[in-house]
Amino acid sequence: MRRSILGWALTVLGLCVALLGLALAVLLGPDGRRTTGPHEIETDGSVVVTAPRVIRWVDVRVDILVEVPVKKPVFVGLGNTVDVENLVDDVRRVEVTRFSAPWKLTTVDREGERSAVQAAPTSLDWWLADAAGLGGASISTTLPDEPVSLAITSIGSSNLSGLKVSLAYGIKGGFLKGLGLLLIGAGGALGGRMLRRGEHVFRDDDGADEVVYVYVDDDGVEHQLTEAEVVAGGFDVIEEEVEPGDVVADGERDTAAPVPAGEDEDGQGAENGAEPELQVGSAPTYVWIDDDGVEHELSEAELAELADDEYEIVDEEDDR
Amino acid sequence: MSRRRLTAALTAGALVLGLAGCAVPHRRGDGPIEKVAATREQVTAIYERYREVRNAAVELLDPTPLSTVETGPVLAVDTGSFVVSQKLKRSGEEDKGPIDVTRVETPRFSAYPLWIFAVVRDSERDIQRLQIFERARAVDPWLLVATPEALATTKIPSLRHNGGGQAIVVKPSDERGMSMSAQAAADAYARVLTDPTAVADAGITEDAFVRQMADVATKNGLLDGVQFEQSWAAEKVEHVVRTSDGGALAFVTLLRRDRYTVPVDRKITWPAGSPQQALLEDGIQGTTATLNYYHQIVVYLPGGTAKPRAIAQFGGVVQGEAG
Repeated sequence: MRRSILGWALTVLGLCVALLGLALAVLLGPDGRRTTGPHEIETDGSVVVTAPRVIRWVDVRVDILVEVPVKKPVFVGLGNTVDVENLVDDVRRVEVTRFSAPWKLTTVDREGERSAVQAAPTSLDWWLADAAGLGGASISTTLPDEPVSLAITSIGSSNLSGLKVSLAYGIKGGFLKGLGLLLIGAGGALGGRMLRRGEHVFRDDDGADEVVYVYVDDDGVEHQLTEAEVVAGGFDVIEEEVEPGDVVADGERDTAAPVPAGEDEDGQGAENGAEPELQVGSAPTYVWIDDDGVEHELSEAELAELADDEYEIVDEEDDR
Repeated sequence: MSRRRLTAALTAGALVLGLAGCAVPHRRGDGPIEKVAATREQVTAIYERYREVRNAAVELLDPTPLSTVETGPVLAVDTGSFVVSQKLKRSGEEDKGPIDVTRVETPRFSAYPLWIFAVVRDSERDIQRLQIFERARAVDPWLLVATPEALATTKIPSLRHNGGGQAIVVKPSDERGMSMSAQAAADAYARVLTDPTAVADAGITEDAFVRQMADVATKNGLLDGVQFEQSWAAEKVEHVVRTSDGGALAFVTLLRRDRYTVPVDRKITWPAGSPQQALLEDGIQGTTATLNYYHQIVVYLPGGTAKPRAIAQFGGVVQGEAG
C-alpha cells in the first residue's frame, strides 16, 4: 500500500517535471529565449524609462537592443530603481508604466524641468548593465533580485525620435535545462511505475550477479568452470544453488551445476533423486584434498570412519 | 525501502530541486524599493580615489582638487588648512601608508542621498576616524562629509543591523528608546556651548568636548579690554545610525562664531603658523573681527535614559572676517 502511494506520487511528480521541461524546451527553443521586436516607441524627448515595479521578474536573461536612426548616439542601461529614479527625477521623459510579454506597453509622458539627464550616463558607476553606441546599443544581462529599472537616453544634444527596441528574454541554457527536466521527469515517472508494480529498480547486493559453474565428475570431484568453458563443453545446467540472503528474480540463476551435453537431464535428475531446488543453509560438506591438489568430497560417515587414522578437520568455512 | 534505494531517490530529488532552484525565474514581491548604499568593491574604490586626490592636493599645496572628494565642513576645514599652508609656504604630508578601514557600514536607502559610515585607523597619530561618505544624487560622486576623530582606545558602540546585515538608519527626530532625539542632542550641545550654565537643564553630559570649548572661550574672554562673544549653532543632523543597545550614533555639525571687538589701544595677534594668524595676518586692532569655525562631533545617545555624550570630534577655523 505504502509502495503504491509512493509509486503514484513519484509518477505524478515525474510527469509534472517532464511536462515542465517539455514546455520550457518548446517555449524557449534551442537558443533558450523568446525574441520580439523591433518595436517603435514614439518620443521626441531624450529619456525613456520604466517606472518602479514594472520589471518584476528575477533570474530572467534579457537582451535589449535599442536603435535610433541616422547613427545618433544612444545609451541603454539597467540600474537599481533608486538610482534610475533619481537620475530622471526632474527630466521630461516617456515612462513605461506597464509591460506585458511579449510586447504590450502602457506609457505616460512625464513633465520635468530638464530635457536631458544631468550627467553623461556612461560616467555613472552604478549601472548593473549598460551600453552606448552610435545608432544602437544593446545589453545582455540577468535580472537581479533587487528593484531595477531600464533607462534609454540620448547622449549629448540629440533625441530619441525614431527609437526602436528589440527584446529577447529567457533562461540561460533554458533549452538544455528543459530537456534535462524532461529526462528527469520521465525517469521519475518510470521509477514510480516500477515501484507500483513491485519491480526492483536497484539491486541490493553488488555480488548478486556472480554466477559460478561447477562440474562434478564421476568420482564426485568438483571442477569450477568459466562460462566460456561451459559453453565450449556443451554442458547443461542441471542444478542451481543460491547463496543464503541472495534475492533472485524470476529466470535468474546464481549458481549452476552443469553436466555434459547429451546426458538426459531427466535421468540425471532421477539419479540425484530430486529436481534442482534451492538449497539454503545446507549441511556441511567435507572435502579431502590429495597431494595433487584434487578435491575429494567425503560424506560425514566416511569422515567419521577415517577420522581416527588419517583425517582431521583443518579448516572450517562458513559460506553464509 | 533499502538504504541504496533511498539514497538513489534522494539523489534524484536533489537533482530535480537543484535544476529547479538554479536560476528559476520568479516574480519579486511588493517589497520596498531600496538599495544598499554601496558594495564592498565600491567602498574600496571610494577610499582609493579619496586618497589619490588628497595626496595630489597635498603635493600641489592646492585645495582645489579636494572639492571632488570632500564637501561641506570637511572641505571648508581642509581648505582653510591648505590656505594656511600656502601662506606659510609649508608643505603637507602625503598619506602613503596602508588604508586601515576597520569597519564599514552600508545602510539601505529608498531614496538619495546615500551614505556610508566607516571607521579608519590612523596608526601614526594613534587615532581612529569616524567617517561619512555621501552621494547626494545619482549623478554625483561619493564625497567625504564628516570625519570626526577619536582616540584609538575609544570604544565605538556596536551597531544594530537588519536581516541583510546593513546598519539601521535612524531619523534625526526619532527619540524612541533614548533620552532625546539626535537633532535635540545637537541643539542641546549648541545651547550648552553658548551658555555653559545651561548644562544642567540641557540633558547632555559635560564631556571633554564641552569642557575643552568652554576653556577656550574662557581664555578668550579674559583678554584685557577686549569684548569677546562666542555663539554656537547646530546644523541639521543627517547621519544617524542605531546602536545595538537601542541608542544611536549621530554625526553633528556645529558652527562656532568667535567675535572680537578690540579698542584702538589694544591689538590681538595669534601665534605664527596658526590658522587664525594666516586668516587675520595683521591681527585685530580698533575694530571688530569674526572667526568662524566648524566642529563636527559624534554624539552617542545611549539606549534608555542615559545622557548623550560626544565620543569624537574634528574641527577648525574656516573663515576670518575683519571689520
